[in-house]
Amino acid sequence: MPIKTNKYLISALILGITLHGVSLFFTLETTYDALIHLCFAEHYASHWFEPWNYKWYTGFTVTGYPPLVHQSIALFSLIGGLKFGLFTVAFIAILLFITGVYRFSLLFTGDRKVAGYAAIAAVFSSSFVETLHVFGQLPSIIGISVLMHCLPEIYLWITTKQYKHLLAALSLLAVTITSHHVTPIFGMVFFIFPLLGMALMDICRKNVNSYKEVSFSLFLNTFFKRFKAILLFGISALALIICCILPYWINTKNNPITQVPIPHGSRDNFIEVTSSGLVFFIIPWGILLIVLPYLFYRFYSKRYLFFGLSFSFLTLLGTGGTTPIPKLMLGENAFNILTLDRFTLWASIMALPLFGEFLFRFIEGDLKEALQRKFGSVFHRLLGGFLVSGIIGLFIFSVNLSYFKPSQPQKIDILPILNFLNQDQHDHWRFLPLGFGDQMAWLSAQTNAMTVDGNYHSARRLPELTTRAVERLENSKFRGIEGLGSLQQFLSVPEKYHLKYVFSNDKFYDPILYFCGWQRLRQLENGIMVWEKLNIKPLASILPKDDIPLFQKLLWGIVPVSTLIIVFLLHFKRLWNRVLKINPLPKANYLNYSISYIKFNPQIISFSLGWIMLCIFFLGLGSYKFHLANATQISPQNVIAAYYDALDFKEFERAYSYLNPKSHKTKDQYMLEIAVNDGLLSSYAKLDAIKTKLISQNDSMVKVSVNTFWITPLERIEKEYHHELYKLNNKWFITPSDYDLDLPPDQLFSVNTTKFYNHGRRRITSEQTHHEDVLKQPVLEVLSSKLIQFNNQYSIIGQLQNVDDVPADVVVNASLYNHSNNKLASYNVMHQMKHKLLPKEVTSFRINFEGIAWNKNTDKGPKTFNPNEFTPALITETPVNFDLQCAGNVTNVDLYKSVVLQDVTITDHSINGILFNAGLQEVTIPQLLVSYYNESKQLIWVTHHFLPEGIRQQRKQFFSFKTPNITGLNVLKNTTENTFVNGLPNKALTEKIDIGTKYKSQKQDLIPVKGKGFSYLKIALNNYVGAPN
Amino acid sequence: MTTSQSVFEAGEHITLAFELSTPTTVSLVCHSAYGTTIVTPNYDLADALFTLPENTSTKKGILDFKLISKGTSLYNGSINIIANTKNKTSLESYIGPPSISAGTHDYTMLVVVPTDSYDNPIANNTPVSIKHQFLDDQKEASIKTNDLMAWKTIHSDKKSGRILVSSTVNAVSSKEFAVEVFPSQPTNFTIDYHRKHTYADGNQITTFTTSVIKDTYGNTISDGTLVDFTIKNQNNSLLKTQGMSINGVATAFMLHPDHEEIWNVSAHINGMATSNTITINYKAVTEKLPVHFSNANRRISIGPLQSFMEQLIPDGAIVKLTITKNEQILETKLKTTANGMVSFDLEKGFYPPGTYSFIIEALGLTSIHSNIKL
Repeated sequence: MPIKTNKYLISALILGITLHGVSLFFTLETTYDALIHLCFAEHYASHWFEPWNYKWYTGFTVTGYPPLVHQSIALFSLIGGLKFGLFTVAFIAILLFITGVYRFSLLFTGDRKVAGYAAIAAVFSSSFVETLHVFGQLPSIIGISVLMHCLPEIYLWITTKQYKHLLAALSLLAVTITSHHVTPIFGMVFFIFPLLGMALMDICRKNVNSYKEVSFSLFLNTFFKRFKAILLFGISALALIICCILPYWINTKNNPITQVPIPHGSRDNFIEVTSSGLVFFIIPWGILLIVLPYLFYRFYSKRYLFFGLSFSFLTLLGTGGTTPIPKLMLGENAFNILTLDRFTLWASIMALPLFGEFLFRFIEGDLKEALQRKFGSVFHRLLGGFLVSGIIGLFIFSVNLSYFKPSQPQKIDILPILNFLNQDQHDHWRFLPLGFGDQMAWLSAQTNAMTVDGNYHSARRLPELTTRAVERLENSKFRGIEGLGSLQQFLSVPEKYHLKYVFSNDKFYDPILYFCGWQRLRQLENGIMVWEKLNIKPLASILPKDDIPLFQKLLWGIVPVSTLIIVFLLHFKRLWNRVLKINPLPKANYLNYSISYIKFNPQIISFSLGWIMLCIFFLGLGSYKFHLANATQISPQNVIAAYYDALDFKEFERAYSYLNPKSHKTKDQYMLEIAVNDGLLSSYAKLDAIKTKLISQNDSMVKVSVNTFWITPLERIEKEYHHELYKLNNKWFITPSDYDLDLPPDQLFSVNTTKFYNHGRRRITSEQTHHEDVLKQPVLEVLSSKLIQFNNQYSIIGQLQNVDDVPADVVVNASLYNHSNNKLASYNVMHQMKHKLLPKEVTSFRINFEGIAWNKNTDKGPKTFNPNEFTPALITETPVNFDLQCAGNVTNVDLYKSVVLQDVTITDHSINGILFNAGLQEVTIPQLLVSYYNESKQLIWVTHHFLPEGIRQQRKQFFSFKTPNITGLNVLKNTTENTFVNGLPNKALTEKIDIGTKYKSQKQDLIPVKGKGFSYLKIALNNYVGAPN
Repeated sequence: MTTSQSVFEAGEHITLAFELSTPTTVSLVCHSAYGTTIVTPNYDLADALFTLPENTSTKKGILDFKLISKGTSLYNGSINIIANTKNKTSLESYIGPPSISAGTHDYTMLVVVPTDSYDNPIANNTPVSIKHQFLDDQKEASIKTNDLMAWKTIHSDKKSGRILVSSTVNAVSSKEFAVEVFPSQPTNFTIDYHRKHTYADGNQITTFTTSVIKDTYGNTISDGTLVDFTIKNQNNSLLKTQGMSINGVATAFMLHPDHEEIWNVSAHINGMATSNTITINYKAVTEKLPVHFSNANRRISIGPLQSFMEQLIPDGAIVKLTITKNEQILETKLKTTANGMVSFDLEKGFYPPGTYSFIIEALGLTSIHSNIKL
């Protein structure tokens, strides 16, 4: 009888291509990984045999990831561009997956119909959908799909001992290996070992009448008989794993992953972190969850016993940090490197054949009969409806997961950035994107410019990155202290990395950029703000790289694609036959082991129904708890928490709903009061923690003090608020606070200011800038510089003045030396200076020597997020000398100096005062730069304070800060000897300035105070204007 | 050697001829500024003619040559190639720094590199004419090249402005260069102030201005120069405002204090110049702080606060209420006035019946109410 085309498989393929194809173009580009693979593909498309890529991380090797998928995309990209390549490979992945599941199911069940059902189930498999449409892990999908194609061949080799099957199996395995490295390694353990077990079981079965009669001794006996075949396969497979991606293993050995593990949701406790539970457990399991009892029942039948064990382990490992078992099984190190979601993926794929079997039995088999007999056909139909709607619902939900829970910023138009980088040699420096998400990989794929950041964190090399659990600098705000700490290092010492341009897609980072001395260049058409740093040298034209031997380069370039060609050559005839059914195929022997589905175990029905009830119960319980936690107004604490939560998420209408309705504050008035607020706290802060303390209370009235902790890019702010709450109709409400009624004196006013413009290059030419277009570097004078030891930390403090006639951007770098003039540490000024100085303006500065945080992997970072956290550089020797390198460059922006110190009151421990903004710009973040002097009016210490609220034009703002205790402070060295300005000694410059006119009056603006360790202080102001007009 | 000429001009067709006593294969090894090269001859009867390649014949300098046959040197010699004088001279010129300060001590330097058409330095002592213009002054100087270049320092004058510089060699002129002369260090100046009225209403703005600040030589200082104003108040605190100069005048602003006050104001340009000190008196706007208790003493109304003409004080004046009981401070409340009024409500829930004392402060006035029963 000629074999007919399996209509279920055909339907599955049509359904799969249509359903996934329709959505693919909307999902794939916003997935986590797809664009990274695209960037790798771009690398192969332009440098096939060169594994070194300069674009990320100051250079990295692409041998850190198996190349086949990337190389395939690269090959297709030669036809229709990179994205064409990406989508083509994605379609191939879909086809491979569906057919793979079909072949695996056929092997597993021996029934073509059941395998057909499994193929259809594969289309809707939520773990597959998630891996493709949410994670974009093409290599992983292709790896497992090809592995499933490989399994029947391995089975046939063991059972028939025909070498053609061994060859076929090995050729397919090679493709798996070159697609994805983790799949074959764990695939060996979790797929191939149980498969061998099943094959042996089937061989035993031939000798006896039923599986029940297969005894352990018989099994052992068979095992020894087939030992040679197994060994041959095992050794060949191992050799393939090593040889096919040899450069990968060499690279792994030379550059072992010693980095601090990056937190991954799949390692969370899914009960505590419900969002991870949803993404890494509920969604990938999907509808399989409700048939779990059936799956386990079937997996633990004798033939599938080994798969049952493997399935159980996979399921367990997939639960991540919910139980301590996966960590114990994998060991601390592997647990922290692996993403455990892949175990769930494999488990759910392994379950597909049996799910197909379940569907077959439910739709047209014995389960249907049993159900109809027991509960009637209506129940069966209802159950069917429930099942199908569950499958489809989950499919739709997981395909569109990024709609419900956006994982990426809005799609960015990359073109203006590319144009910017191509103009005026901007690509001669490194750049850094901020707030781009994985689209930074797409940007990198399209430009030759390099970035210090990157998107494949296993390849990171800079210790600033590897010592912290920071996936990317680009999204550092989501990585708390470590993220912003890392970012701060890059922004403070950008010359080390030749980092000149920052593309900011998130205004959260603006303050940190400004206070690290960066300036806004312009906003591109796509809304991306370009920040630049002056005084950065361009990259050298030849950059260092880690070269690898030629044979490795050739292996890497040739082997992966060859495996593909070999597979085609070996399988072409059979594939042709199988698809078109020209000649009847020999019947594979696993088809003999299909079972007839006659009687469905009634106990399983009852158990499954009970299980479904339990699932529904837990779902209901979860929803109820969710509701309770969100009942916002049942207690004063709840309403305070809800109010601040609403403010944090800028849901002002919700915040308004918690205000006392009897307070006569209209919604319009409230919104208006909120709208005029700007500043660090209202525009750049994220609520971190909130502590509510009841001060006084009775039944209907409570007075509370609320300690709020806010995270801003600059520091962690603690702010105390006081609220009165009233109870109305069993709900608590907050009495709205009074707002500032202050009226500015002038309706319309004018201020004359000097503004500057620098043409840069006056001729429109791509040649080097003509020398006469280059402005002289403004002359700075270092008035004093001192090496200070305080609290076991070393700092350089001092004062410098722009003695030129043009405004200057100032960069100050200090180095410490020991007695034999060896450099101990070097760092730049960060926040503690005014980076932009008008002519004759003076600023104090302080340089702290920051080391690379948590240098050792054993060091634990703090649990909570504190951008203010500071890791002092480890200075083992006592520094005896220091030098100071200052550079001035003409600037024409950020010169707003119109905030005045209106009032100062000094108490024993604190300084209170009022600032007044007399100018035309709204100051978003005012910074106080406080210099402390000893009794002989010598500068000894510098601190800074950011004010949480901004200052609008002609408005006042109060400030208050505690004075420090600096009694233990030690001035180690006080000299301007080794001080250089623009490369010239400071002394020579001082002499050049006309001494005759110099009026010594620097000390007349010091405020006398009785401080701990100081006698005078001076307050200077530095203003960040968020939206200059 | 049959060629007698020993000095050639760069770019000239240079052929060296040798008469060979016996016909043999020879070659010429030439060593010049360009490098070492081997030239093969054209034979003309018994003569071997060597034509030097263009890259060698266009380079100025001494060219040593050696006639070689089968590894043995037959003849040594040298010729001198000098800069081309027939073609047009080209001129490279550099000036720097592009900005200097006034007062004769600071200078910029012009460097002229005249070359022939093959980029060889022209002969030493070629005259270069350098002209520069500053204000009404136009000067010309002639200097001579020496080893490739000619240079001249141009000192600033006592005036600020712009110096334009050019140079000419062999009738070839450079482009125009501009050097900015900035004013020198500022000198002491005077300050003045303007205000709308003399009252301490905490609302109007006092404007401070400097006189036109000049440098040592009478030039107006550069625009954008920062002038700091320091204000000493009655508490000996130092307040601060600042202004950037335009046409030598810096303007700074300060809000009027909200209480009677005397300010001593001086200004300075850090470390370079200072001003006189002026004293400004601010009169109190009112002597009266009306306080009214109502609603069984649970509502404290303050106001109407009146300003100097008995008008209501502009909104936003700060009123501070300190509540004490048994000499313990319970709470300090701050409110700002609206229409001259502020009222505080003391809720029963928070202030159980008892005897309290209240201190009310506003506009520099204090009003104490002891032993008030709630």
